[in-house]
Amino acid sequence: MLTQTVYGRTYTYSHCIGRGTNGGEGFRYPLDLALAADNVVYVLNGPSEFMASSRITKCTLGSELGDEEFIMDFGTPGDGDGEFSGVTSIALDRDENVYVSDEVLNRITIFDKEGNFVSKWGVQGSGDGEIDRPWGLTFDADENLWVVDSGNNRVQTFTKDGKFLGKWGTGGSGEGQFNMAWGIALDRDADVYVADWRNSRVQKFSPDGKYLMSFGAPGSGPGEVRRPSGVAVDDEGDVYVADWGENMVHAYGPDGEHLTTFQGDAQQLPKWGLASIVANPDMGRARKRVRSLEREWRFDQPAAVKIDAQRRIVICEVQRSRLQVYVKEKDYVDPQFNL
Amino acid sequence: MASSEDIALMAHLMRRAGFGASRVELEERAARGYEATVEELLEPEKLGIADNDEDLLFRHAPGAKLPGGVPYNGQANYMWQMVNTERPLQEKVALFWHHLFATGNSKVDNCDQLLEQINMFREHGMGNYRDLLMEVSKNPAMIFWLDNNENHKDQPNENWGRELLELFSMGVGNYTEQDVFECSRSFTGWTIAAKIPRLPLGRFPWEFEYKPEDHDDGEKTFLGHKGNFNGDDIIDIIVRQPATSRFIARHLYNFFVADEEQVPAWQHNPPKDPAAINIIGDVFMTSGYDMRQTLRVLFNSDFFKAESARFAKVKSPAEVVVGTMNLVGDFKGAPKPGLMALGMEPTNMGQSLLDPPSVEGWHTGAEWIDSGSLVRRINFVADRVGDLSLPGVRDIVDRVRAQGNISPEELVDTCIDLIGPTQVSKMTQEELLTQARSGGDVSWDSQQAADSSTQRVLEMLQLIAASREYQFG
Repeated sequence: MLTQTVYGRTYTYSHCIGRGTNGGEGFRYPLDLALAADNVVYVLNGPSEFMASSRITKCTLGSELGDEEFIMDFGTPGDGDGEFSGVTSIALDRDENVYVSDEVLNRITIFDKEGNFVSKWGVQGSGDGEIDRPWGLTFDADENLWVVDSGNNRVQTFTKDGKFLGKWGTGGSGEGQFNMAWGIALDRDADVYVADWRNSRVQKFSPDGKYLMSFGAPGSGPGEVRRPSGVAVDDEGDVYVADWGENMVHAYGPDGEHLTTFQGDAQQLPKWGLASIVANPDMGRARKRVRSLEREWRFDQPAAVKIDAQRRIVICEVQRSRLQVYVKEKDYVDPQFNL
Repeated sequence: MASSEDIALMAHLMRRAGFGASRVELEERAARGYEATVEELLEPEKLGIADNDEDLLFRHAPGAKLPGGVPYNGQANYMWQMVNTERPLQEKVALFWHHLFATGNSKVDNCDQLLEQINMFREHGMGNYRDLLMEVSKNPAMIFWLDNNENHKDQPNENWGRELLELFSMGVGNYTEQDVFECSRSFTGWTIAAKIPRLPLGRFPWEFEYKPEDHDDGEKTFLGHKGNFNGDDIIDIIVRQPATSRFIARHLYNFFVADEEQVPAWQHNPPKDPAAINIIGDVFMTSGYDMRQTLRVLFNSDFFKAESARFAKVKSPAEVVVGTMNLVGDFKGAPKPGLMALGMEPTNMGQSLLDPPSVEGWHTGAEWIDSGSLVRRINFVADRVGDLSLPGVRDIVDRVRAQGNISPEELVDTCIDLIGPTQVSKMTQEELLTQARSGGDVSWDSQQAADSSTQRVLEMLQLIAASREYQFG
């Protein structure tokens, strides 16, 4: 079903965008995304040693199927300024400058919104302000950057230009401990949510790092997670978790109760994907002999989930080179049941 | 403390039942005992779930999950798993079956499905051979590779049926052309369902499909048996044949014990060690085709432990690369840049993993070596054992240093021991000694002396790696 009403919330599948490409209209291994003003989305494409896939794709999200527009690509593989070796996450400041973490180069690279290299910072290590395999990024209301310092099993905060502000977290599986954490998000109260990847849970902390609660538990049952990667919180405090390992996105209420699970609903091909089919008629014919295309609708490694002011929930799938968009409806009126 | 003979025997076991091991691991295993180690290797599921699982690979190298037709992504996946496995025998057995049920990307153009096949070998490779043959018969990559999707009720295609008998079970000379035809008829309707094509969203998996309407349900005569056979009936008949137990036994001997002639010669020439083949074949048959029990007997046998079996195999390129990683401790844990190049190294040495040259698999033994591949093998190993930044190399240097000041003779003996232990001929030993003596005694008395001695250890390791003997495992 494309619309579901659960516990007073209604979610509707909207559309998808993308296709697999190493440049231009499409994505390759999209690991993260950042939503900007004017319907713009920045998509961070992951690394491949012998394939120039790693880049940032800037495009519009569109409001319905086929409405998206490619704007530009920027960043290339390498280790020079403005180049990537192991990108992991992306975040935007208020001026729409683009911050990218790189787990191989152990640095944060900054571009302006036109894709021009601005600066970079980061020193590998485990001391204060040093980073080891930086992963999730997010900005707080004061425009300080929160970095999941995955290799050091902690969260660190920095000013925009890389000055160390604070840290918390240690390695382990207890409360407040991490094992290769991935994504991070803040809610409107500035509480912090961290996708604790190898511990298969999302932990919630106060802004100063005090453990508050966990979402999900290891497993594949309802509301359980395996190796979560991305997390987002909406204005009502509902929490969305990208369950990378089980190919799902779970929604939880503010108290941790499981609301529903999205499995992917892309029943129609995205515009750019359709263009590939038109250009390769054999692919179109091959699609017609398939008994069911349902597998194509579903997520394959959803890595990140983000929410914008229009209540759109945007999910990127690493293996399908695609974004799927859901909407958390406002003032939804269910149609008559006997139609 | 384990004796040097215990260490040498354990090193032999780990080279064959795995891809070698670090000195620390050899010592730990030797302390637990040989038979106990064999049992550990045979029961990998008791080890639980490893930290270095596929998720870690896919998190850091997303292209390794669905590599499609691109070999280097698929080979990187396979290489990382061989280097990082905590179940060495399971992984080595999977490679054994990859040699035997050789299926190639050159035609399949789908490393996803080839990796799925390797996973199937991991899961079923140490189980029952009959069950494994059933899995192979239903494996999508194999079905496409040997055209069984073109094997129809009204138009049989004999490719799968022939190779099942010739290369996967009995060997040439043990069946007739009519048996091939009847076998093929029995597998009509065993095919693959159409999959979602690769554009525009990437690869989707193939799945086995049985089409009863395309199956020839008529009577067949196969190896003297009559009936309305389907594929599983054929497999039941095949596994009962003495020729099958002999054929699998010879493959096991060739892969795990000592180099044999190439498979096409087996119909003409007797095995190198007929008694060993009989022992392996007997346990294979009496255990009901149980690979675990067969391997248990093989690894505990005198013919396996014998001096004559040590270094009686030319290392395959996969063994050279993975064994070197285990020795020097590189590419362990989260993937890092260079993994794809590492995955391609066996190709550079003549063994393109996931892409054997034909359904007969790779020719092994001395055929691994030619002037080009030998240079590649030597340079690959020498570059790594000469790199002090690698933890395994650092460990070797530290162990040499722990002996204090030593003579050139002791330097040679210690390095030969720590890089394997390996064995070298008298002539090679003399060559190594000549080199070692040119530097005099090895001293660690000052920083300058220690730096020089460290360099001499590295050079000695490189010289040993360049020797003829080091090509044997």
